[in-house]
Amino acid sequence: MVADLPVPTGIQPVRTGRRQRSGQERLAYTILVPALGTVFIIVTIPFVIAIWQSVTTDDGTFIGLRNYSRALGNPLFFDALRATGLYALIVLPTEILLGLGFALFVHRAVKRAGLRATLYVAAVLPLVVPPVAVGVVARLIYAPGYGVLNYVLQTVGITHSEIQWLGVSALAMGAVASVDIWQWTPFVYLVLFAGLQTVPKESIEAAQVDGATWWTQFRYIELHYLRPLFLLILFFRMADVLRVFDHVYILTGGGPGTATQLLSLYIYRIEFRFFDGGQAAALAVMVLVSISILYSLVTRALPLERA
Amino acid sequence: MAPTPALPRKGGGRTLAIGIRLILIAAGLGVAAFLYAFPLYWLIATSLKGKPELYQSITLVPRHPTLQPYYSVLFDRGFWVLLKNSVMVCAATVLVTLAVGLVITYPITRLSVSPRLRVGVLNWALSLRFLPPVAVVVPYFAIVRTLQIYNQPIALIGIYSLFNLPFAIWMLKGFLAEIPIELEEAALVDGANRWTSFRRVLLPLAAPGLMAAATIVFTFAWSEFLFALILTATPNSQTFPVGVQGLVTQFEIIWNDMAASGVIAMSVPLVLMVIARNYIVAGLTFGVIREK
Repeated sequence: MVADLPVPTGIQPVRTGRRQRSGQERLAYTILVPALGTVFIIVTIPFVIAIWQSVTTDDGTFIGLRNYSRALGNPLFFDALRATGLYALIVLPTEILLGLGFALFVHRAVKRAGLRATLYVAAVLPLVVPPVAVGVVARLIYAPGYGVLNYVLQTVGITHSEIQWLGVSALAMGAVASVDIWQWTPFVYLVLFAGLQTVPKESIEAAQVDGATWWTQFRYIELHYLRPLFLLILFFRMADVLRVFDHVYILTGGGPGTATQLLSLYIYRIEFRFFDGGQAAALAVMVLVSISILYSLVTRALPLERA
Repeated sequence: MAPTPALPRKGGGRTLAIGIRLILIAAGLGVAAFLYAFPLYWLIATSLKGKPELYQSITLVPRHPTLQPYYSVLFDRGFWVLLKNSVMVCAATVLVTLAVGLVITYPITRLSVSPRLRVGVLNWALSLRFLPPVAVVVPYFAIVRTLQIYNQPIALIGIYSLFNLPFAIWMLKGFLAEIPIELEEAALVDGANRWTSFRRVLLPLAAPGLMAAATIVFTFAWSEFLFALILTATPNSQTFPVGVQGLVTQFEIIWNDMAASGVIAMSVPLVLMVIARNYIVAGLTFGVIREK
């Protein structure tokens, strides 16, 4: 708010400058406040509703934390947590190691710009394929009967009987994870490859003059530049692991049993298969709270430009 | 690699070691290329098989390639309606997301606001990116039913716009910040008002960035499955991925139709990706990685 006070003529120039700026600021707030306010309300209402749903029954009777104790007392919940953790433990290290390997290899061995551009497009491609379509591909590969993986293995002579890729817990988890690795290793590659381009040529050349090997060059120079990017990758990929749903739903539906029933599938099942809205809401609130805590812990360390 | 002085006596052993290493590298790359490309090949190959071929033993190359499965998916099963819904929902999502994105990013990049506000807005947008959809599925389902927009495209448009807003804000922020503020100031000095200078100076300059953001938002919305699965029930409003899912889970052995639907589902984002390929990674990493 700006009050129009009479001012001595002496400081007129400064005053106009300030008035222009505060006019701009006023315009900024006039635009921002309604827009942000609306979005904020739309984002916040669901949280409020989730909390409300989690402490009441369908007819609105307050039941305290009963839904929470039911949610925590359900052994399937811990199966889901375990499956999600296992999935992350398989997928994240594999993707990071493979992506790093490819990034280093291409960075060192591929010098032709055209080939690099081709590899770039090839790496972007899986990132935009809808997870549902990737799930279809995975079914065509792993499904009993028509799955091509068994056909290939039998033709080559590695196995003689059909392997039930989706029928055995460990294999099903591997199958589901392989889909994630196929789709997201290129992401890690692209990020780390871009990071390698920021390493100053001079320090690499100096190190090579000093006789640095392949490994020391990576360990003492390049790794330094990649470190913030590893954090970034972990951060984004962890957020993604918590939202993985589509390809698992298509490929295994969470089975066999609950072997691949990740947290997201579990909540879906509680709400839309068991129609237990209260328990699902309690789970949702717990997930939201944990994510917020995780987020506030990690976000400060991220290399995002903020200004 | 450091140049190695030629040592005649050790030469044989060294070439052998290098040869073995080269073979190992080539083998590794070959396996990687195969694992990368074969799934896509197999999807397309299966989508070109006629019905009779499905009941014979598996063939790696379709014997009598046919487009019949595509026809069957789009017309016999009526999936072209779902395709139409998808395009409609995604286009509307793009419009809403970019409009809201511009309204939020214009003030924080082009007008003087306190840096704390700007950082606050950006951080808040970033935090939305980490909201797992499944955690809000339960309340959204309740809201959508209360508003009586269950099984209507508007429900999806609203939710997709919300979930894509963080990407849009960060991308638009990057693009707008690159346009010199003097250009707009010059227009203002020449007597244009803010709206005119926004429309006639800033928007045309930001057009490539807006196109990139639009393409990426379209692609993300196109891929979305969870909300579409939950909030729609009939072909009136179902999107294409829901149809694909139905083919997989209900008739699980019609492999060629299934594959054809998969090819259709991925073709749209792939075509768009060619247009916006240089921005995909920037979009996915909130501008940390920029392809120049």
